[in-house]
Amino acid sequence: MPTQVQSKLIRAEKRAAQNAEINSTKQTVIGWQGVRCMLPPDWNVTGFSMDRENGYLRVDAPAPGTMTVQIRWSNAARVQKGPPNLYTFLAPRFRKLLKRPEPAVPKPDMKANLEKILKETAKQAKKAKSGFESTIKPEKTEGDDDERTAINFSWNGGGRGQGKIWYCAICHRIIVAQVVGMPRDQTAMALIASQLFSTLHDHSIDGYDRWALYDLQVDVPDDFRLEDQKLLSGYLHLGFRRGSERILVDRWGLANVTLKKFTLDAWFRNHALVKLKRLPKDERALHGHECEHYTGSIPAIARIRALRETKGALRRFATRYESGIWECPDTNKLYAIQVAHNKRSVGLWEEVAERCDCH
Amino acid sequence: MRLPLMLRVKYGIGRYLPFLKIRPPKVDRQAAMMLRPGRNSMLTWEKRETGETMLLVPQNEKVGRVTRTMAKFLKAPTERQVELDEVGGYVWELCDGSLTVDAIVQRTCKQYKMNRREAEVSVTMFLQMLHERNFIGFYKKTGKKA
Repeated sequence: MPTQVQSKLIRAEKRAAQNAEINSTKQTVIGWQGVRCMLPPDWNVTGFSMDRENGYLRVDAPAPGTMTVQIRWSNAARVQKGPPNLYTFLAPRFRKLLKRPEPAVPKPDMKANLEKILKETAKQAKKAKSGFESTIKPEKTEGDDDERTAINFSWNGGGRGQGKIWYCAICHRIIVAQVVGMPRDQTAMALIASQLFSTLHDHSIDGYDRWALYDLQVDVPDDFRLEDQKLLSGYLHLGFRRGSERILVDRWGLANVTLKKFTLDAWFRNHALVKLKRLPKDERALHGHECEHYTGSIPAIARIRALRETKGALRRFATRYESGIWECPDTNKLYAIQVAHNKRSVGLWEEVAERCDCH
Repeated sequence: MRLPLMLRVKYGIGRYLPFLKIRPPKVDRQAAMMLRPGRNSMLTWEKRETGETMLLVPQNEKVGRVTRTMAKFLKAPTERQVELDEVGGYVWELCDGSLTVDAIVQRTCKQYKMNRREAEVSVTMFLQMLHERNFIGFYKKTGKKA
């Protein structure tokens, strides 16, 4: 039987090893709705919302029930007081048409927001019949141009949480990020929290949002909105839309098994947005792999279908189709990117495909 | 994993009278990952050139004499074939009772370069499906059935 001192030493060694592992190994990039951060390897997205204005993201540690990262965001510029009316509907449109600047967004009350969150957590702790304590640190400004107003906080009750709430003056988002775990994980939690807060970004810098989950990493222009998703074991699909334009990103696992039965071309024909039969095909190099690339105009029937789907939206009406599929033997995956775009958006496929990291 | 008769009766009552709130205990994930799946010794299998694995499941083993005679008379097949794809076949071959579920997940991850979570979901679901059909059983330790 080890003595108390020995067991303390063993625990300290284990903790040190765990911390070293966190610091040394390759990091996981997580990106969703403009929010991106880096976490230790094998952390995976387990919950998310489709809404860009008000949403949440949950990322879990590999061993369930140990640690969780929760990120919530809301757009302070979109907070409406009272029911929507004709003015609130027309004003932004006229502003955009006349190229007038957006009205200044008043700085939200961060403390009130934080107290609301802590109240909810306290309620949950009370339900679990455990005491609740919270610490709120003073407000401070952060960022390269002091664009962030942030408050750090921590709580203890049932579990333990270490978080931060901030308002970004550039994207007008209020972000609440916290690491939640058990009291025994305090040291690891502090490490994860510092890593999370130092790598968390709430808006794009170059006009592209990073979407990253389960080994899939792709940059999509930030005015495209996520329309649909399929996150299955072995198959990931993200669909984006801007008016009538679409970007579809697909990733299939087990490429070596798939390509035993199908050729790359045959596989893609079964999964493409439009019929590829009449579209000209060429081969080009992409990320060091051979990519089968198709380009052409969208057939009339598909255009009518798209018009029906978008409820008659004529903004950036998609008339061209461009797509490509490639195999990445390094990761044993197939990647396909399809773009239905307007004449004005020439080069969109190349840009997205170049920014899709396959290995 | 066959439960003792008393427990089966108890959970059976709980199922039909839900207000009694008698439910089987939830299996701890960590404990489940340490179980060792082992193949049913009644089953035989063959690997094909295309990569698929064909399981041959014997039929008419636990049926009465009349049914057996009728089956013989009507020339009913004595075994059923179940086809597993390449990945399924790989996992099936690993189910020899010596490897834990966790080890099988790790090997599948490495073999097919899969994300750990993706592999875990697929492999556990697949093992669950095999277990429901009595193709495999789970051992707590090598040689001792859970």
